[in-house]
Amino acid sequence: MIARGFRRLFRLERTGADVDRSVDDEIAFHFDMTIRDLVARGISPADARAEAERRFGNLGDARARMATLDRQRLAHDRRAAWWSAFAQDLHYAIRSLRARPVFAATVIATLGLGIGANAAMFGIVDRLLFRTPHYLVDAGRVHRVFLARMSNGRERITQNLTYRRLLEIDSLTTGVFDKTAGYFIANTAVGSGIESGEQTVFGASATFFELFNAPPAAGRYYGRSEDDLPSGAPVVVLAYSYWQRAYGGRADVVNRTLDIGSGKFTIIGVAPPGLAEEFGDKPPIAFIPITRMALVLFGNESVPDYYKSHSIGWVSLLARRKPGISAEQATAALTTAYQRSYMMELADAPRMAPVDRVKPRGIAAPIVRERGPQASQDTRVATWLEGVAAIVLLIACANVANLLLARAVQRRREIAVRLALGIGRARLFTQLLTESLVLATLGGFAGLAIAQWGGAALRVAFLPRASWAASLFDARTFVFTLAVSLIAGTLSGLAPALYSGRSDLAAALKAGVREGTLHRSRMRVSLLVLQGALSVVLLVGAGLFVRSLLNVRAVHMGYDVDHIVYVSTELRGTPLTPSQSAALKEQQLARVLAIPGVERAARALTVPFWMTINGDFRFEGMDTSAAWRREITRQAGSADFFATMGTRIVRGRGFERTDTRNAERVIVVSEALAKAAWPDKDPLQQCVRMGSDTAPCRRVVGIAENITLGSITQPEGLHYYLPIDQIGEGAGGVFVRVRGRGEAQLENIRRALQAIMPGASYVNVTSLSSIVAPQIKSFRLGATMFVVFGALALGLAAVGLYSVIAYGVTQRQHELGVRVALGARRDQIVSLILRQGMTLGVAGVALGAAAALVAAKSIRPLLFDVSPFDPLVYSGVVGVLLATALAACVLPARRAARVDPNVALRSD
Amino acid sequence: MADELELFQGTLDLLILKTLTWGPRHGYAVARWIGETTHEDLNVEEGALYTALHRLHKRRWVSADWGVSENNRRAKFYSITAAGRAQLRRQSDTWSRYARAVFRVLEAKA
Repeated sequence: MIARGFRRLFRLERTGADVDRSVDDEIAFHFDMTIRDLVARGISPADARAEAERRFGNLGDARARMATLDRQRLAHDRRAAWWSAFAQDLHYAIRSLRARPVFAATVIATLGLGIGANAAMFGIVDRLLFRTPHYLVDAGRVHRVFLARMSNGRERITQNLTYRRLLEIDSLTTGVFDKTAGYFIANTAVGSGIESGEQTVFGASATFFELFNAPPAAGRYYGRSEDDLPSGAPVVVLAYSYWQRAYGGRADVVNRTLDIGSGKFTIIGVAPPGLAEEFGDKPPIAFIPITRMALVLFGNESVPDYYKSHSIGWVSLLARRKPGISAEQATAALTTAYQRSYMMELADAPRMAPVDRVKPRGIAAPIVRERGPQASQDTRVATWLEGVAAIVLLIACANVANLLLARAVQRRREIAVRLALGIGRARLFTQLLTESLVLATLGGFAGLAIAQWGGAALRVAFLPRASWAASLFDARTFVFTLAVSLIAGTLSGLAPALYSGRSDLAAALKAGVREGTLHRSRMRVSLLVLQGALSVVLLVGAGLFVRSLLNVRAVHMGYDVDHIVYVSTELRGTPLTPSQSAALKEQQLARVLAIPGVERAARALTVPFWMTINGDFRFEGMDTSAAWRREITRQAGSADFFATMGTRIVRGRGFERTDTRNAERVIVVSEALAKAAWPDKDPLQQCVRMGSDTAPCRRVVGIAENITLGSITQPEGLHYYLPIDQIGEGAGGVFVRVRGRGEAQLENIRRALQAIMPGASYVNVTSLSSIVAPQIKSFRLGATMFVVFGALALGLAAVGLYSVIAYGVTQRQHELGVRVALGARRDQIVSLILRQGMTLGVAGVALGAAAALVAAKSIRPLLFDVSPFDPLVYSGVVGVLLATALAACVLPARRAARVDPNVALRSD
Repeated sequence: MADELELFQGTLDLLILKTLTWGPRHGYAVARWIGETTHEDLNVEEGALYTALHRLHKRRWVSADWGVSENNRRAKFYSITAAGRAQLRRQSDTWSRYARAVFRVLEAKA
């Protein structure tokens, strides 16, 4: 009581209310003293008060100022106290971590792996899904326009419009869009002489630049008058990176000329850094007017037609909504516009399917491609992997929480002593939490390092743009990593800190070092079960992806991928008649066959996965309404085509040199087509007509095995082949079959063939495996990453189980000693410990398997030919997990069996 | 009292700090001491004096504590801190130089 009164009397103000009281007390004391002195000098009390007030001056003003100053001082003091407590906590945390470097390193590494996995995946998912292009004004209002229509019972969505469609939709949607721009990215020849090569060029409407707030780095952009129908001005705006690379950033590039395609273009400006690089997988080197791009693409002769015709879809449309118009309204307006445009098309071509069958519909999709209707499988896999990374982090946190709990038990006495010495429980709690936050922050830095170096391969694999893949370090990733670190630190530090603050002082001080009630702690047990369960979920995912990958690899494509190289010819304005072109291809065949290591070569019309051409196939007695008719695709090849591709001829023959223009017309059909067309007849020698019922007869001379053309997951088999000389001269490219892998011969083949190319023309050489690889990529990535993350999770869970069991054995040494002394056999001790560990293992496996069964359903679209409930995967994972749990328990169990009762009982 | 001198800006701080060098005092004692030492020549408004004390406290040139006054009343005592002494040294140097300079001008003979 006395102490309290004393403190109260001498306490300085601490809160706002105290400040006012204290100022009032001080002033009252002053007045009392002044009046007392004046009265002592013989002045009347009333006069004395008046004199005191006169001397003090403006009382209200002074009082307010004094209080304000005090408040400011208190606020400053509080901040200073907080910082000093924080600095002290930090200092204490660092000191106590340095005292146990192995413990600290284990925790930092564990958290680092978890945080690193998240930082790496965030860097990827963020770039794929959440970044709008640089400079774009009001990115939320800018859409990519997609058009959808029903075809062969499926809805096909495209971003490639005919120029006529673009014009029509543009003029029909002025009510909802205030700005639209068309663009098309093409690979074409750029430069002249020795510096010429194939580059990516961006064709853009003049309005394209108006969507951005991006003043040119030099010169100017082209205006609408230079982007006019039928073909715009030959002007070019360089990309910043190309300006730097090819011109060293020199200011005098403006008004120079640059050869693009077969035309000469005047350089009028340079775009600011990053504008061109935002678009396309390979950053474009320059912008040209979209109407000029048409000329580059279609050549001189078709220019008058391209914007009137509905035959070739190429240009993509960006559109910005007017303020106040919703995305739904924009989509509705696009649908109406597309329907009207389709009806206009119908008026020109009455044989097309009616509107109610085609169901044309427009989509105002987000500007970020991967959020639109054509998101890639890779992005879906990446999003899943982000979730998987989060699970890995959870497991890491559970592990760290377990380690910290174990440590909290060891530190009970130390903490009890500090509590006894008067540290507040709240302060203790902050101190312990600071410790885990310090660990987590260090883990975050370790994670960033892991993500930067370990994740490099990952970024190259997932991110289409080279500029994105270079580095992970940017503000967003950094902030994300920091936030994740703090969350992880809190998650793993909260329970141990709470536990320590709760501990019973007297009991802890009295107890021996080994004593502890925690070895059966429910929290630690549930953390372990959770870890086991999460590991099971990840490993099931890994198993499903690995099986998908194996299945995809095992798909028989109907041709050899690894040994095939495709050669295409770019004439670049070199005028060649069809017969000259055919002669050139024959020369190429002869030249390429002379290269050592080349086994075979043949001409062909199309390339799997690049393009398919729909076939027109009719014969007498055919059911013209059959749906399969619309699924037929065609290919053409020269002699040796089937042997070059490795496509097996099942019956009859392939093409031979005698299948020339003037020889008998022949055709080879795929097994599936033969079966669909002539279910109960011998297809060989049947007569087939192309184009019309009156066209000349073609004899079926061979049946080829089915091949995969458009998508690995959707095998298409209805396919026929014509001799290439019988469909017109000079078309298509050349397939080359080499010994060993195709990639190894690319440069040899290119150099040999380039030597015989006339004029400015050149050849492009591509391995078929690089064309097919993207089809397999998402499965490969999914399988690799799930396995990596799954193994990480399993490893963490195993270490967690081991440490808990081992710790339990240490704790129970005394008890085990008593058991041995009372006659327990070693194998009984071993099975006691094993039983304890395996109970946890089994509980985790059961819980995890149940969770995996629930979660697996949603992963189905990413799998290939494997059920999400595949029993092999599940039983394998259960086996692996139980074996791991057993392995983690064996070591501590054997140690327990070696307990010497003499030592154990005497030591306490 | 027309012949009382107005204080220059910052001079009051100097006077308070100097007063406190002889030991902790409450506000009333500071006011009395300044008044007596200057023979009431300086017109120190006591409200301004208290505001100055609180400002000095905020700047940590003085510290404050509640204590018991000579007549057994609860009073707020101020004492000068090390930072306050340093400030006083700096300020009084400046002030003396300033005053000497002014004197030299005023007493210069033509």
